[in-house]
Amino acid sequence: MNEERKSTPDETGELVPATISELGRLLAANAKGDRRPVLPIGGRTSLGFGFPADPASVEVTTSRLDRVVDYPARDMTVTVEAGCRVALIQESLKLEGQRLPVDVPLAHRATIGGAIASDAGGPRRFGYGTLRDYVIGIGCVTVDGRRFKAGGRVVKNVAGYDLCKLMVGSGGSLAVVTEVTLKLKPLPTSSAMGWACFDSGDTVGDLLGDLATSRARPVAIELLGPKAGRQLAAESRQELPAGPLLLGVAVEGNPVEVEWQAGVLDRELRAGGAADVTWVRDGDTAKLWSSLTDYQLGGESPVTIRACLKPSRTVDFVVAAIDAGVAVQAHAGNGVVYGHLPDDTIDAQTAAEVIEPLRDLAVEGGGQLVVERCELGWHNALSMWGSARADWSLMTAVKRQFDPEGLLSPGRGIEAALQQLALGGVDQ
Amino acid sequence: MASTQPVPDGIVPVATELLTRFRRLLGDDGVLAAADELIVYECDGYVVEKKAPDVVLFPTATEQVAEIVRTCNEFDVPFVPRGAGTSLAGGCLPVGGGVMISLTRMKSILEVNLQDRYAVVQPGLVNLHLTRHLAGTGFHYAPDPSSQGACTIGGNVATNSGGPHTLKYGVTVNHVLALEVVLPDGQVVELGGPAEGLAGYDLVGLFVGSEGTFGICTEVTVRLTRNPDAYRTLLGIFETVGDATQAISQIIAAGIVPAALEMMDQGIIEAVEAAYGFGFPLDAAAVVLIEVDGLEVAVDDEAERIIRLCQEQGAREVRRAETEQQRALLWKCRKQAFGAIGRLSPSYCTQDGVVPRTKLPEILEFITDAGKRHGVRIVNVFHAGDGNIHPILLFDERDEEQIARVFRASDEILGKCIDLGGSVTGEHGIGVEKLEFMERMFTEDDLEVMASVRMAFNPRGSCSPGKMLPTAGACGMEHIERSHPGKQAAS
Ligand SMILES: Cc1cc2nc3c(=O)[nH]c(=O)nc-3n(C[C@H](O)[C@H](O)[C@H](O)COP(=O)(O)OP(=O)(O)OC[C@H]3O[C@@H](n4cnc5c(N)ncnc54)[C@H](O)[C@@H]3O)c2cc1C
Repeated sequence: MNEERKSTPDETGELVPATISELGRLLAANAKGDRRPVLPIGGRTSLGFGFPADPASVEVTTSRLDRVVDYPARDMTVTVEAGCRVALIQESLKLEGQRLPVDVPLAHRATIGGAIASDAGGPRRFGYGTLRDYVIGIGCVTVDGRRFKAGGRVVKNVAGYDLCKLMVGSGGSLAVVTEVTLKLKPLPTSSAMGWACFDSGDTVGDLLGDLATSRARPVAIELLGPKAGRQLAAESRQELPAGPLLLGVAVEGNPVEVEWQAGVLDRELRAGGAADVTWVRDGDTAKLWSSLTDYQLGGESPVTIRACLKPSRTVDFVVAAIDAGVAVQAHAGNGVVYGHLPDDTIDAQTAAEVIEPLRDLAVEGGGQLVVERCELGWHNALSMWGSARADWSLMTAVKRQFDPEGLLSPGRGIEAALQQLALGGVDQ
Repeated sequence: MASTQPVPDGIVPVATELLTRFRRLLGDDGVLAAADELIVYECDGYVVEKKAPDVVLFPTATEQVAEIVRTCNEFDVPFVPRGAGTSLAGGCLPVGGGVMISLTRMKSILEVNLQDRYAVVQPGLVNLHLTRHLAGTGFHYAPDPSSQGACTIGGNVATNSGGPHTLKYGVTVNHVLALEVVLPDGQVVELGGPAEGLAGYDLVGLFVGSEGTFGICTEVTVRLTRNPDAYRTLLGIFETVGDATQAISQIIAAGIVPAALEMMDQGIIEAVEAAYGFGFPLDAAAVVLIEVDGLEVAVDDEAERIIRLCQEQGAREVRRAETEQQRALLWKCRKQAFGAIGRLSPSYCTQDGVVPRTKLPEILEFITDAGKRHGVRIVNVFHAGDGNIHPILLFDERDEEQIARVFRASDEILGKCIDLGGSVTGEHGIGVEKLEFMERMFTEDDLEVMASVRMAFNPRGSCSPGKMLPTAGACGMEHIERSHPGKQAAS
């Protein structure tokens, strides 16, 4: 749906500032003038997330803010403007044997600013954490055009409040991110992924329990249902085992470390009930990593959900979701699960019948289930974020400090979730 | 009262009625109000500024903390949380007087869940006690400040503490999943949860490091980390400080991330050797403690690479800790180095600047010069791998003129850190000590945005007034003087 809106700047009045100062001036002028709602835009990879944007919004695109400001490789930090494409950043880091070890969906299109706003992550969050662990400095422009920064360019810094954390995952609802400094890691020289099939959730549950104390230290533990498994194999053009539950474990490091760990994991998977283990190595893993990461977005599926829960509850959730016909992918070590509802989900009511029991499971498991994306027009009929959590009213207090009139990304994020609840929940 | 007008020293301004209410809530045992007992609480690890609170309270449950806060609001009295009081920035200083809420009696471990890799603890739990409790499980709590034998997890959360092993494992904020907080209006709220990746703003990440100005943390869910499969501990011995810092830069630049990379210079080696008798060479200009961890199949190789890099930078010798006892002693020397400083001087103050790691040689040279220029003896023991310096300035508290020189030298060193692209504090916090530097690191707009975020949590400014932001507080303390911030704030 968002593709259609990608028309020329003139028609839509989309703003494409060439510098951060210009962005500041444009927003200041808007705040003093028309006071139109503002929708910050990066690579347009996650615009369909959450509630739909206010159609009256003026779009502010960061695509021209694409400079690498400073890359002191020996300090293992990089400072870039928010419109830099993630894949391009990774390519320059690679030349120095470094990387940002966070998987970002559609990295060729996604901007780093957008990735930060949507807290993008993927399978390797198990081994390396998420963007919040790597953003050490941030520059932003408020909806009324004021520039501010927090953090800095050094890896350890406690001067002032950590607004970097606040911006990660803020969904463009607090300020427009314009510049970031990232902490980097060395690029591993080798990697391997082992894939195995299992028939029963119990077997996988026990195995995951054992893997938690393996002498190997996997950087990703993926658990996929049969549909997701087939789609992943097709997308990445790999021969992967097919079965009710597909488990993937990955290791990275130097060749000695990878070889040794692959050996350990191979034995452990077999001891845990795998009939066979398919290993994919080094260069061949690249396509798998990106497919695993992009799969989260859900392609053409009518509804994509994301659950987070305690890792030990993941397998039960995955099994329940498979039984409900959902294509499931779990970052099983973290308890983060993506699910795509089947194409034959005809309306919001049908979707809600699938979602709500799963949501109960997620909440019981210490977490939450959100509808990441759904067909236009279903948003009001589905409970997007579920019941309010204890800290939501504090979140709105923070939002009001940044944007008292709700001009930035209106209708999205926490305010929309609360509004939906205030309006008596969903109108089913 | 205290919030509208500063109360002169020596008068106990807390109303009798207020005290009665606190005694009813906590019992006599939970309330300290006698002047001689309050002296203990007049400062934390930052000894330059002193100001006793009007009363110190010792709640044992979240609901009591909430009731204390509501009562303070009713009587319009400011309040400040305190853990073990090891802050080196005056974070616990009760600016404007009022109530100090000590969390030290809330020190239970409420839950350990190894399967899901977290533990739930009360804020007064001593950091090391959690580590000890986890011994034998194969897991640990990674942030390990050198003060871990005394400091509390709540204090660590408030200051976003680091430690030697945070080079590889990250600081406190990377290891906190959820917090229970008593907000400055007395409401109890749970931020985050045991599951990661919850939708909405990362209020946990925002709260960590807020130095007590966003409320009082009453429960912490921390992430647990697997113990490394193997480690190797090395000691590089160098003829010059320059060689040592070059070696550190080379190691990082080679793409090696050791678990820890700590440096001690000759001045501190002398004190540490006298105190703990490790066998450090007293004529070396600097030693670097290096720990690598990882898989057994990989650590020797990494250790060898590091040894080679040290030798290329002219290391006199690189020793290995051959036994577990040797390693433990080496770490004790490092972590308790501060405890040995008493042998060098009656008082000291530690600065906590950060520079990009490649700038270490430059900043250390600058520190040496600054010491010479101002006639202040400075020794160094610090988290070198992170570029986090800790110059320790030695002085005699009774000599005002010496203190002034110490301030000038500190000021120059931290100014230089900013000039080199760094920060004035890597882990100790702003507190009252470094308030004046905030305007040098941040613009007016930056500070205004930070102040507005605080408004969401602490609109009346009654919780930890006068901390973190230079314009902070509702206590008439806005005009803190540059030369002696804490003193002014505390008077
Ligand atoms: C010898 C020595 C070595 C040190 N080494 C290190 C080191 O390696 N790394 C490092 O990071 N620091 C270090 N420090 C500094 C200090 O130990 C840390 O800042 C520590 O986290 C403070 O913990 P505490 O319990 O003593 O907190 P306190 O000193 O009692 O309080 C610190 C701040 O936290 C607030 N606070 C305390 N408890 C709470 C709570 N429950 N809720 C909200 N706010 C609260 C206080 O108001 C204050 O602002 C060292 C200090 C010393 C004396």
